[in-house]
Amino acid sequence: MTGQAHAAPREEAPPIEAPREIPPDWEPSILAFACHYCAFAAADLAGVMRLSYAPNVKIIRLPCTGKLDHSYVLRAFERGVDGLFVAG
Amino acid sequence: MSAKTPSRLEKILRAGHLAVTSECGPPRGSDPKEIVHKAEMIKNHVDAINITDNQTSVCRLCSLASCIHLKQLGLEPVLQMVTRDRNRIALQSDILGAASWDIHNILCLSGDHQSFGDSPQGQNVHDLDSLQLLQTVRKMRDEGKFLGGDDIKRPPAMFVGAAANPFADPFEIRVPRLAKKVKAGAEFIQTQCIYNLEKFELWMRQLVDRGLHEQVYILAGLTPMKSAGMARYMKNRVPGMDVPDAVVKRLADTPKDKQAEEGIKICIESIQRLKEVKGVAGFHIMAIEWEEKVPGIVEAAGLYPRPSV
Amino acid sequence: MIVGEQKPIEELWESIKGHQKVLVFGCNTCVAVCQQGGNKEAEILASLLRMKATQEGVEMEIQDSGIERQCEHEFFEKAEGRIQWADAVLSTACGIGVQFMAEKYAKPVYPGLNTTFLGAVEKLGHYVERCQACGQCILAATGGICPIARCAKRLLNGPCGGSTKGHCEINKDVPCAWQLIVDRLQQLNLMERYEDLAPIKNWSTDRAGGPRKLVREDVQL
Repeated sequence: MTGQAHAAPREEAPPIEAPREIPPDWEPSILAFACHYCAFAAADLAGVMRLSYAPNVKIIRLPCTGKLDHSYVLRAFERGVDGLFVAG
Repeated sequence: MSAKTPSRLEKILRAGHLAVTSECGPPRGSDPKEIVHKAEMIKNHVDAINITDNQTSVCRLCSLASCIHLKQLGLEPVLQMVTRDRNRIALQSDILGAASWDIHNILCLSGDHQSFGDSPQGQNVHDLDSLQLLQTVRKMRDEGKFLGGDDIKRPPAMFVGAAANPFADPFEIRVPRLAKKVKAGAEFIQTQCIYNLEKFELWMRQLVDRGLHEQVYILAGLTPMKSAGMARYMKNRVPGMDVPDAVVKRLADTPKDKQAEEGIKICIESIQRLKEVKGVAGFHIMAIEWEEKVPGIVEAAGLYPRPSV
Repeated sequence: MIVGEQKPIEELWESIKGHQKVLVFGCNTCVAVCQQGGNKEAEILASLLRMKATQEGVEMEIQDSGIERQCEHEFFEKAEGRIQWADAVLSTACGIGVQFMAEKYAKPVYPGLNTTFLGAVEKLGHYVERCQACGQCILAATGGICPIARCAKRLLNGPCGGSTKGHCEINKDVPCAWQLIVDRLQQLNLMERYEDLAPIKNWSTDRAGGPRKLVREDVQL
């Protein structure tokens, strides 16, 4: 941690996840965290304008992206979300 | 001052002769032939031979056993002892062990950090530091007592030395540091390899101004360079080493096959110049894995034959 | 404060994988300062381990909790329920907290951190060692800079020959403790102290004397 000589060299950590084969019809499940004042307003406007966007993106509104917490991110992954989109 | 120990090195210095010492590194194995062979090469040209103690923290045949081999050849060893690997029990015990073989010189060091050697994952001890080891040997010799206060039967009779690096930082304490070693009991000093003669002479002048040269014998340390590559390595890689650009340049400007010769020439010229410096009591020639060159250097520097005392 | 560094997930997984109910238990005082092992970090670690369990196809429950200090009995009360629920605890306290918990509960308590040193926060994200708890403070003689904690050879009487331009011979990123001491003594106009010989140290108050204990009769109930 301090880069001092007595800190034993850390062994290369094994990869946490082994890559898996992707099924042909697979669509990633994306969760978007959007700020109430900008990105979420944009998504809202898209709805008002009847614009369509990919159905595999689900949006959660935050009062501010500053409200984002490690636990939201990790909980999403634990529940099988494939990717996160944070917009604010 | 009369000699306090049977050490030949001490007698030579007290008689006012310029002393000459050298050093040999023990082998990385149990065959004593190598150390004996190195010592045989230089024995007629030096007054005493230092045996390094696991130098650069690389594990080797022990200094004490090597000193005993020298002693059995009738030579005068200087037992180097570092505080890195032994606590006060082991240090005192080894001092008595050395004394039982009538080894009469000891050089007290702290030792290179273990991260440089073959055991970077090992512990270091440093129960005492080098100054406290000096105090320990002096107490054992002069008071006949262990650090714990008990009496020693037949105390060790050792001439006690320390190392000094006139070039390490912080420079402003180079002289106070030596004064402190003298206060702790050092009777002779062997210095780090000298290439920057001006800086060394400045250090010596400051010592002399404080009168330290009357309290301790300073042996100027010299290591002949084998090549311009070695000079660059010493300059850039070895902590606490001061190699002026002029020295590197002089070697680099010499054809490759003549560089070794030039390195020896520089060493001889340095000795000749430093002989005239007030307070220099002798020379410690560290020809690293190049012991066969020591006799030639000693002769060319006008330090041969060695006096008999 | 006590500084710690979280162990690699693989090592932690090896400790806990045979258990059914694992509590990742944070300690929110010292180690939380270096953002390792606090209650927040315990929460994150629990989540990572749940994912690890899913990936490994292992059925187990992993929860998290935490208290202010795992080295004092009083703090444990509020987490008692969670601790009783678990059949093993992964404590992200320092080594003291891990042992204190193991003494309190008859269930396996595994270390989540490597306890690294006693240090200070030099700046955000930089934690540096300052004390080795030798039991006999010499800072008065060394200008307030500890050569035992900060010199690689714990030299008590001055720098070794490897001190170069202010850094230690072992690593250019490590300041030479004795350079710092000399600079400090000069700044304080106390350089004459440098030549006082440091007495041979009594290490019996250090680790060498065996486990240490302080008893205060006057504050006992």
